[in-house]
Amino acid sequence: MRIIQQEEKMTVHNLYIFDRNGNCLYYNEWNRKKQAGISKEEEYKLMYGMLFSIRSFVSKMSPLDMKDGFLSFQTSKYRLHYYETPTGLKFVMNTDLSVSNARETLQHIYSNLYVEYIVKNPVCVLGNTLDSELFSSRLDAFIRALPYYSPRAA
Amino acid sequence: MADEALFEFLHMEIVSHVYKEQQSGKGEMDNKDRAVCVSVLEGMGFRVGQGLIERLTRDSPSFKDELDIMKFICKDFWTKVFRRQIDNLRTNHQGTYVLQDNKFALLTQLSSGKQYLEQAPKYLAFSCGMVRGALSNIGLDSVVTAEVSVMPSCKFQVVVQKL
Repeated sequence: MRIIQQEEKMTVHNLYIFDRNGNCLYYNEWNRKKQAGISKEEEYKLMYGMLFSIRSFVSKMSPLDMKDGFLSFQTSKYRLHYYETPTGLKFVMNTDLSVSNARETLQHIYSNLYVEYIVKNPVCVLGNTLDSELFSSRLDAFIRALPYYSPRAA
Repeated sequence: MADEALFEFLHMEIVSHVYKEQQSGKGEMDNKDRAVCVSVLEGMGFRVGQGLIERLTRDSPSFKDELDIMKFICKDFWTKVFRRQIDNLRTNHQGTYVLQDNKFALLTQLSSGKQYLEQAPKYLAFSCGMVRGALSNIGLDSVVTAEVSVMPSCKFQVVVQKL
């Protein structure tokens, strides 16, 4: 009984992709039970602003020399994972608490999906929102195939 | 062969550059401008195809007939350039050939259906020229065109010109 309940909780809630200037290039949600109550534009600005502040805070207050910087935060209900590429692209994913480290997942999304279907797509202009259907469908399939994704999250 | 991404990125930039050059100054591109871009790209591909075929056939025996040449294009040439073979070759045995590639290398990152379909021809012009150039150096004068209906599958039509 308990095992089934645990699996039902495992899920990915949503994903944001920002460019180095703070523009939200892509957003999608899979299992979001509650909205933020503000417009999408405000939500993206809020997310980006928060990340900017928290990264700066984390590096200032670090009692040791920093390596990767801010990686994730958690609440009693969800965990937010953060991955920044050397080129300034920021990937933000909210999952449930069973996922402790999504860095590899986000790295995979960057190198195998973003680079393949956006950077290598002659029609996609870097800096524009990601309109390629090929990219969204591959990303969707990838998320749904994750070992920690369950479509019926509690 | 070097990393294929090098050629793919260069090709993307070549196409973008040719279209930007043609458009500079004017606001909209009309059909005449588009035709000029396509023929510039096709001309570049022609010269590349001519050079490539010299390199690829230097160790091969000479070809028996036209069909043999087309099979070489579908197998050896396509493999060397696009890392796969043509999936389907059809002919009317009177000089017209249709080469079908179901996963054409320069279209796979664009879309897997109908999105961006109207932009696809821009990325086929160079390759048409390559095929025409390759055939021309083997001794076949031809007209090569391409059509796409569902990406990344596309068909190249070769019509051999009789003297």
